[in-house]
Amino acid sequence: MIRAYLEVAKKSFQNNITYRMDYFAGVINTIVMIFVNISIWKAIYEEEEVVGGVQFKIIMAYLVLSFLLQNIFTMEDYLIEGRVTTGLISSDLLKPMSFRLYVFSYNIGSLVFKAVMQLLPAMIVTVALFGMLPPFSASMFIYFLISVVLGYLVLYNLNFIIWISSFWFYFTFSLVTIKDAAVMILSGALIPLWFMPQWLYEFIKLTPFDSIFFVPISIYLGQIPAEEVFTSIIKQVAWVAVLGLVGHILWKAATKKLVVQGG
Amino acid sequence: MKDYKGFTIFEIIALFFSYSKLNLKTTLEYKFDRVLLAFAIFCREMVSVIVMYLILTRFVRIKGWEMNEMLFLYSFLFLSYCIFVFIFTGIRDFDGMVYSGDLDRFLIRPLGLMYQVIASRVDYCATIGHGAVGIILFIKTSGDIGIQWTASNIAYYLTALIGGAIIQAALFMLSSCFSFWTIRTTNLRNLIFFNSRRFAGYPISFYPVIIQKLLIFVVPFAFVSFFPSQYFLRKTDMNMFWDGYLYLTPVVGVVMFFLVYKLWTVGLKNYSSSGNSM
Amino acid sequence: MSLIKVENLVKDYKINVKKKGLVGAIGSLLVPEYKMKRAVDNISFTIDKGETVGFIGPNGAGKSTTVKMLTGILTPTSGNVEIGGLCPYKQRKKNASRIGVVFGQRTQLWWDLPVIDTFELLKHIYKVPEKVYDENIELFSEMLGLKDFINQPVRQLSLGQKMRADIAASLLHNPQIIFFDEPTIGLDVVAKEKIREFIKYINKEKGITMLFTTHDMQDIEKTCSRMIIIDHGTTIYDGTVDQIKNRYGKTRTLIVEFGQVYDKIDLIPGVEVVDTKDNKKWLAFKKEEVHISSLIADLTNKYSILDLTIQEPEIESIIREIYEGGVNYDKSLSGGGKEVLSK
Repeated sequence: MIRAYLEVAKKSFQNNITYRMDYFAGVINTIVMIFVNISIWKAIYEEEEVVGGVQFKIIMAYLVLSFLLQNIFTMEDYLIEGRVTTGLISSDLLKPMSFRLYVFSYNIGSLVFKAVMQLLPAMIVTVALFGMLPPFSASMFIYFLISVVLGYLVLYNLNFIIWISSFWFYFTFSLVTIKDAAVMILSGALIPLWFMPQWLYEFIKLTPFDSIFFVPISIYLGQIPAEEVFTSIIKQVAWVAVLGLVGHILWKAATKKLVVQGG
Repeated sequence: MKDYKGFTIFEIIALFFSYSKLNLKTTLEYKFDRVLLAFAIFCREMVSVIVMYLILTRFVRIKGWEMNEMLFLYSFLFLSYCIFVFIFTGIRDFDGMVYSGDLDRFLIRPLGLMYQVIASRVDYCATIGHGAVGIILFIKTSGDIGIQWTASNIAYYLTALIGGAIIQAALFMLSSCFSFWTIRTTNLRNLIFFNSRRFAGYPISFYPVIIQKLLIFVVPFAFVSFFPSQYFLRKTDMNMFWDGYLYLTPVVGVVMFFLVYKLWTVGLKNYSSSGNSM
Repeated sequence: MSLIKVENLVKDYKINVKKKGLVGAIGSLLVPEYKMKRAVDNISFTIDKGETVGFIGPNGAGKSTTVKMLTGILTPTSGNVEIGGLCPYKQRKKNASRIGVVFGQRTQLWWDLPVIDTFELLKHIYKVPEKVYDENIELFSEMLGLKDFINQPVRQLSLGQKMRADIAASLLHNPQIIFFDEPTIGLDVVAKEKIREFIKYINKEKGITMLFTTHDMQDIEKTCSRMIIIDHGTTIYDGTVDQIKNRYGKTRTLIVEFGQVYDKIDLIPGVEVVDTKDNKKWLAFKKEEVHISSLIADLTNKYSILDLTIQEPEIESIIREIYEGGVNYDKSLSGGGKEVLSK
């Protein structure tokens, strides 16, 4: 059974290879985004005359990590919508394979593709250009890796909820785009949350968004005190569970709707 | 059988409105979807504005630029894109027209091809999404940064916006030329266009010289946002550049558009001698 | 007076030769290799005002390429095209104002809007005088039954309704010539019949010259007086439809599924077995020599029969037959002194 899902992941990996231009676009976008943002922060710190200071180095590392993670966290937003609008979903559900695991395997396949084919070149270029702070400590690096996996799952479960909405909405481009905008602002993808106004920071801590990018990167950089790392990770696990549960309930409702309407 | 006469300019304009009316009607057919889409585009575009806002709330100024000045510069990008997409949606979507066969349909109409490409499509959602961001930024900043809205300043401002829209149209049209040779360049175009646009959201003096040169001479986004806003603001970093650039936006737009249009007609000729399929 | 004049028309395409494998793919990306393919090879014909001509041939025979050259979408490699004294690709706009084109597979109607909206726009595009426009709308509403759905969004229409609306759209400006590219493709029998009736009517009433490309033999039989068959880019038949029907369109095939396997069966004269597979036999006969009813009656008397199917000759097979027999093609068969190019 596992084999079948591995095949799906492999297929998704190969599909990614086919779109050569998208591949280059992915690498170059990441490098350009890092470059633009670092230029801006450099300009900010020139003003404060502390370029080369610890603050600036942390920001640089933060941005590089964030954009690299953003690159590999990109998912197949229209996979489910495509199956629903073409009606293929009905036959998907009859296959001796969990459709949800199929979607997940597909995304893992492209995650692996991006990690190998896009992350590596982008990382080599940016690290050569801007340097990179080492992880705060060896143990923090381990926590970072765990936290990245959890961050991916939080985003995946959040995305899944949006994807499922295609059972009710004809096309989900708008919802996906609004979700992306919210993630970009609230997850600390573009600006470290500690630069946000206090009230906003407090608010974001109540949402799943900071679990996606901010928590893993902060752990890497040692910006979260050692005694709080554990609770941060527990919080991530909790959000994975909560969003997963919401997704599960919606999925049940969606398949029920499909059965009632006869596909 | 009545003899064929060309169109007068009035007929051309009236026809343009007939097309626009149908486009508007199509948009209104799916009110909920389209409103949501316009809102989604608005949100997407607001992301970088909000980031800029958050950074400047914290740091007050960057290289001498204050919040309202930066946001004013940014507003040029949105407003000119709004004008561009309102008029030139067809050029943005030209690839698709070649592949779907719409182009063949245009060729059997007694109208110019470029005219039909431009007139046949308007993306109201993108127009409104970008326009709303631009207008919000303009209203927030324009009264606050010491600009005297004299007749000549207003004239400059409008010319700069339209010039900026034409520059962007020329960039999109350049990529659409390749469709005549059935080369798909949409991804490459988006890559170059939207990344350059990302740069142009901030003053180009923030970037290394090589990037500045690229934004002036290759993908001339500097003329869309940086130089027009410098005309009003005259920040000290304008000293790095030739003053004449402040007035060149419409010139760059028109010259680029003209050159690209020439290439486009060559492409059309090639298309009609090779076709896109058997 | 001839309205359409085509002389020694040739069209070559440049085809990108794709090489296999990754190395090949990269190779052809860097150094593209081209091959010339002749899609239309020295075609000549003239069509008079008011004629209805079926333009047929198998897929890839060059018929749509020819139509594209006639409508001004493509420029010929060599040769001449003249439509009412105009060169379509040089005087594209002027020529376009005089022609109408119906693509069976691609609608010109605005998908999300009522049919009437597209008509209104076309009125402005072709500068149709108000009076002519109103008259035409009235005529089409009646003849094509447009009034039932003219205010409905196109996406809600059936295939047949869409096609009728599309044909009306192409005729609003009273073109001198109309090109139909597969106008009945995918339609049911009733819808096809309605469209053919209408086409015949406007040809008679308005004297519009018509050029069809189609796969449907019935379209040609019912609407065209003349037929041009092309294959591999050359004309292989140009003459009246009647003659070709008499010669090639008479054979019918009866497919019989017997209750058991018979090695040999006893048939009435004029019928022969052309193929056998298990308990099925294909019986060919000429339709005016043998009455289908007497054949069936005879068979049911003698044998146990499970199923019967009558097969009309398909245009593809007629064309193939003509093409294969083209060498011996009898010049006397081609009508009206039209030129026949045979291979």
